[in-house]
Amino acid sequence: MRYAIVGLLGFLIGAAAGGAAIYYNPLTQARASAEVADRALHYALPGEVLDFTLGEAIVPPGTPKREAVLWEETIDRTALLSLVLEDARDRPVAVASRLLAVSPRTDFLLSGVRLNDYWLLTIPGEGTLFLRADTNVWPFLKETLPVWYFGAPWKGPTEYRPTAGPSEDGTAVVIGATGRFAGQTGSAVELYRLTDLDGASRSASATGELDLRLAAHRVASGE
Amino acid sequence: MKITFFVALLLGFVGVLAAGHFVPWGSHVRLPSQTRVVANGGRDERFVIRLPADRVAVAGANGVGLRAGAAASPRALPAALTSEPLLVEHFKIRDASGNVVGLAARHWSADARAAGTAWALMLPSRGALLLTSPSEARGALEAALRRAGYNAGSAWTGDLRVAFTPADAQTAVVAAGSDEFAGLQGRFSEVWTITGVSEGGELRGTIEIDTVTRQGS
Repeated sequence: MRYAIVGLLGFLIGAAAGGAAIYYNPLTQARASAEVADRALHYALPGEVLDFTLGEAIVPPGTPKREAVLWEETIDRTALLSLVLEDARDRPVAVASRLLAVSPRTDFLLSGVRLNDYWLLTIPGEGTLFLRADTNVWPFLKETLPVWYFGAPWKGPTEYRPTAGPSEDGTAVVIGATGRFAGQTGSAVELYRLTDLDGASRSASATGELDLRLAAHRVASGE
Repeated sequence: MKITFFVALLLGFVGVLAAGHFVPWGSHVRLPSQTRVVANGGRDERFVIRLPADRVAVAGANGVGLRAGAAASPRALPAALTSEPLLVEHFKIRDASGNVVGLAARHWSADARAAGTAWALMLPSRGALLLTSPSEARGALEAALRRAGYNAGSAWTGDLRVAFTPADAQTAVVAAGSDEFAGLQGRFSEVWTITGVSEGGELRGTIEIDTVTRQGS
């Protein structure tokens, strides 16, 4: 019996040490390299959200119940977000749809909590862009979850650069779809600044920025 | 006793790290792909959207027709974005058997400088597809409905098929893909079949997106 208790105690301490190693693991902080953007669009959350729909399986526990729209088991770990984006002079210039899904590349040891993040971004009068990003939300979750669920003090505001691929330099892939963007390719990086965290309502406010860089013309249709 | 403690400690430590690394935290339920082999090469896959059940959200400029008004988003587009014909729609998508397999966004604009339609289809277990085509004419669906006897403000039932992609197969294309769809090239067609319109303007019917793709060179 004493051996069982000692074994259990050792296991729990070891598991806690493993959890701490995952929490402080620097490998999961990977992010895109800084790059000079041709164009920066920004947005405020939740102020410029047109619609946000979260899959049933990833609704944070304790958040106010809403009618589950994405309940089917094939899409219950996805989200849909539509946003208005503004230019440097705070004029609304674009509307974006984001299709998000928890990525199979999620790995708490090596890459963090990854999302497949697909954007359809339309700038009226110019055209539509398609963005494909690997987004690492683990740094964000590490900061928000202790505040939301354990009442930990928040040390914000905090800046994040969640874009972590799929390009080798960690940037998102941009493909021109329609209008003057058709046939163009480029890269993008998303930045955001968490400005408020409310533990009671389990909500957050943030400002975000999408830095776009359109460069070479497309050579082939596939990636 | 010490050995027991340290072995258990090591097991706990390594077990948590192994779980963080090896457990498939991000895997999605996958249904068998409903693809068919095309006789002269490539594969054919149909995606279906049922209206109104699969419409998740919509935001549109003024005067873009029934689709913008049928199920408005909680917030409308700001006035600065409504001067040009623009319609943003979000749907669930189904396979040919009617199972929900993913999500889609459709952006349509018909202004003179940047007309076009772009679809992003995301199948969480398989990847994403970008489809692009010339935009259908503004009010194309409403005009077809009126020809079939629909009057605004009154309910209508029938069976109306409207092709939103041009018959010219070269301009409605599968432009890009990721993961399982990476490197695929091809074409697609988009057909709306409307079987009813409510008094409030809500559409009933289906959208069929047929893709024919093959691995690009």
